Amino acid sequence: MSHETDLTDRAPRPRNPKWRQDFPIEWEGDNYVSRRELVKFLTLGSLLLAAANWVVALASKVLHRGSKVERYIGSAASLESGGSLLFRYPGDADPCIAVRTPDGKLVAYSQVCTHLSCAVVYYPEEKGLFCPCHHGLFNLDGDPVAGPPTRPLPRVRLEQRGDQIYAIGMEM
Amino acid sequence: MSFRSQGTTLFAAILALVASAVVVQLWLLTVSMEALLGGHYNTLIPAAAGSTLLLAVNAGLLRYVFRFDRDTHH
Repeated sequence: MSHETDLTDRAPRPRNPKWRQDFPIEWEGDNYVSRRELVKFLTLGSLLLAAANWVVALASKVLHRGSKVERYIGSAASLESGGSLLFRYPGDADPCIAVRTPDGKLVAYSQVCTHLSCAVVYYPEEKGLFCPCHHGLFNLDGDPVAGPPTRPLPRVRLEQRGDQIYAIGMEM
Repeated sequence: MSFRSQGTTLFAAILALVASAVVVQLWLLTVSMEALLGGHYNTLIPAAAGSTLLLAVNAGLLRYVFRFDRDTHH
């Protein structure tokens, strides 16, 4: 054909062409170098993951500080033996429940079930806090005793000053 | 067994160890996130310390790789 292109490279080849500078690895060293590069890359990823874990740990300190506010929740007279009182602590979006146990002790927990976040209610017959969604039951120490929940309820620390009850902190 | 194939096997083993450690770190991070959102703060510092320990192991293995390269090239 008259328009056939001559593809042969008749020019003298440079000793160190640009492609060799860009890709300096020989075929037989390819696996070896790739693994070494991957180890370096994974170690960098490891550094980022460790840093992210510390960020999460430090974020918890900031969040935990917010749960140390004091809040008035009601009068002691309104909470008779075997009765319960609903309140919000530490924020307005955090429902909690205080219970006067049959032996007169005052305890309070987050009302959010640790299974799937339904609201627990006091169940005097079982002497515990009952979750109606999946029939989970917590005793008055906040520990799960029946149903699907496996983690205890976060406890609210209370302080009684005269006739007034204050929430003063959360115990996770 | 030649020196190169020994080195390749060694690097494969190191790569497997580092990759396993990174997977454990990833798991620790997801568990920490879940604990943070669930309000369970007690496990977060030990998880971060464990992740840092794994980072130290990885850094030690990477240092070994660099030293191995340096020794074989000289």
